[in-house]
Amino acid sequence: MPIDPSVVGRNYPPQPYEVSREKIREFAEAIGDRRRSYVDTQAARERGHPDVVAPPTFALIPVMRGFDMLMADLGIEFARIVHVDERITYSRAVTVGDRLQTTTRLDKVRQVAGNDLLTVRSEVRDEQGGDVCVSLATLLVRPEDEGGSGD
Amino acid sequence: MTERVTEPFAVGDVVADQTYWITREHLVRYAGASGDFNPIHWNDRVARAVGLPGVVAHGMLTMALAGRLLTDWAGDPASIIEYGVRFARPVVVPDDDAGVAVRVAATVSEARDDGNVALEITVRVGEQKVLTQARALVRPPVPDGARAE
Repeated sequence: MPIDPSVVGRNYPPQPYEVSREKIREFAEAIGDRRRSYVDTQAARERGHPDVVAPPTFALIPVMRGFDMLMADLGIEFARIVHVDERITYSRAVTVGDRLQTTTRLDKVRQVAGNDLLTVRSEVRDEQGGDVCVSLATLLVRPEDEGGSGD
Repeated sequence: MTERVTEPFAVGDVVADQTYWITREHLVRYAGASGDFNPIHWNDRVARAVGLPGVVAHGMLTMALAGRLLTDWAGDPASIIEYGVRFARPVVVPDDDAGVAVRVAATVSEARDDGNVALEITVRVGEQKVLTQARALVRPPVPDGARAE
């Protein structure tokens, strides 16, 4: 069943995410990035940051939590979702200690070849309300009763 | 000592080109680090059940590797102003020690008046583009000698 168009424009309340030193380290290691500014406060300060900063795509951790919330609200299981595209506009780097607040909004739904394509806008701000980044994503939702034959 | 770059960035310049290897171990690490535990990234049985040839990399891991190329070139994560990709094809990760090679290259598509540089990024496995419409807007690195300390 296609997604009810009345859900378009639905806003989800800001979700908190506190950025920890160890999570940044773990993320940087997972992507194989040895940049000192991701683990060493002094190195980050030398680059003009107040403390350790995160790689650019770290911001997708809180953004994806918003996707999970949206999908749970729409009753869509995880396995039916395909991330089609992702674009992030940054106001600043995510920094250790940030208490991020991420708002998620379903901007658009359209049907393409039996699938629902969702445009999701996520705004990530800091505790003071300052912009950190904005994510614009397209998520494809496969129909519920796919035979499993693939394409 | 002070090298001057007269025409720093011209359209068509390939500013960075790097090959990254993704193994199953990377997928496990990335799953834990990102919180994305979708089983298509670690379980062949589930991946095949949804029509994939086998376990595939997280699209956002591939995006992160191309992001590494950008931050390595620019010198700092705060230099990335905008970054977007389309996840065009799954990156199949074999269950072996070598993994799969992902080649990332960034080409200048526009040198803006404000000094920022728009990059077109190609991300390939073999000859196939796995990310398309991969673009970034970046504050370029400051040439040695011109950096304000």
